[in-house]
Amino acid sequence: MHRLLDRGLEQLTAMVFNMGKVAEKALAISIDGFVREKDTSGDVHELSEILLSLTVEVEEKAFGLIAKYQPVASDLRIINSYMKIAYDFERYGRYAWDICFIRKRLGGLKDCEEWIPHFIEEMGEKVLQMVRTSINSLKNQDTDLAKAISKTEQEVDEMYFQYLDKLVKEAHVTGQCTTSSVLVVRYLERIADHATYIAEAVVYIATGQKITLR
Amino acid sequence: MTTLRMSNKNGETAVNLEQVRPEAKMQSIALNAWFGSKQALKDINLTVKANAVTAIIGPSGCGKSTFIRCLNRMHELVPNARMSGQVLLDGKNIYSKETDSVQIRRRVGMVFQKPNPFPTMSIYDNVAAGLKLTGTKKGQNLDEIVKKSLQQATLWDEVKDDLKKPGTGISGGQQQRLCIARAIALQPEVILMDEPCSALDPIATAKIEELIVQLKNDYTVVIVTHNMQQAARVSDFTAFMYLGQLVEFDDTTSMFENPKSELTEKYITGKFG
Repeated sequence: MHRLLDRGLEQLTAMVFNMGKVAEKALAISIDGFVREKDTSGDVHELSEILLSLTVEVEEKAFGLIAKYQPVASDLRIINSYMKIAYDFERYGRYAWDICFIRKRLGGLKDCEEWIPHFIEEMGEKVLQMVRTSINSLKNQDTDLAKAISKTEQEVDEMYFQYLDKLVKEAHVTGQCTTSSVLVVRYLERIADHATYIAEAVVYIATGQKITLR
Repeated sequence: MTTLRMSNKNGETAVNLEQVRPEAKMQSIALNAWFGSKQALKDINLTVKANAVTAIIGPSGCGKSTFIRCLNRMHELVPNARMSGQVLLDGKNIYSKETDSVQIRRRVGMVFQKPNPFPTMSIYDNVAAGLKLTGTKKGQNLDEIVKKSLQQATLWDEVKDDLKKPGTGISGGQQQRLCIARAIALQPEVILMDEPCSALDPIATAKIEELIVQLKNDYTVVIVTHNMQQAARVSDFTAFMYLGQLVEFDDTTSMFENPKSELTEKYITGKFG
């Protein structure tokens, strides 16, 4: 049976999935630019602004559906989760922009020893993989895929602390390299957290269970 | 006293379960009901907790009204109707031979779908009618009881200067609250409500809903409703019935956030049929 609410839910879903695409693109360009010393700030800024306005649109749409249809059960879980996921996507965009900004403002990794860009590239790839997993698990409502994110999140966390420990021991790293790289590594770790929040929301939508994957 | 030992960072605490878990006021055990050869209820086992609002939801003909009519022995008043199983009120079977059905209906009051004040009686007499009929309040101050009942039904301020006017001369919402006052006057322990707002406008409905939530401080309330948002708003527990069976019973928040049965999910999200 087709319900009046269904059309609204379809529109909301399309909006959130579209945000996922934009957010993934913003992060991919941003991380690549940072590691390869390319200025991608123009494109990333534009994508980040798009995500910001889409978040507002998703929120308005979701509020409208709640006000008009008083959804319950899985309908309510979807709407509530999509509002949170839209925020997570918006944060992806914001961190993508922050990474570009660090390169522009502080000079990025140009004075760093060779191992540092490699380390950040590896961590960036891992985080991007988490971002893609979060988006794919959402699109396919795949709770197994969503739960699998937990392992990568742990690895990213370990890399984050590993990096900080190593930097503390390396006295010859410049202030510019330290500041740029620590901030970016921190942003990557936060992006991984948001990917995990999305995975948790995917499980909640499908099962109603509130689990923690961190 | 039943206690549960819980550990927290400050050490172990004993929690009195009787304080945190509301007691069972009524309980149906293997309850079946028939109208002639048609079975309307099938093996219903449900606990109604004291000082809580329990909502019964389900599509038309699922047995909601029959169920609550079994809770105060009104089902047996229908020709050809019969039942089997037990209904406990404070642990005692209301269908046992020594139980007086009139006494049960006094302890377990009923408010119906359409406001039905006695048409020839004043507002005052409508509230006092039950007391006069049962004769058990002789010698007591009727005025006081009528006033208190109307106050509890949040109607006193609106009718206190018109107590001699006919009960049918007030609005539909006021008439329904008058019927609630009439039920309260008999000092029941449980109030059953069979779609009490279905004939009312949204403002009158909101007033009754507010009243229902207040009433649970003094009474146990069971409400049958077609309006799922109403069940979600006013009740602490919700039972979903379908084709005479109890499909799911849970606290209302869990039921409306994450129902366990697929059938419940379909019904409350409107995906039925």
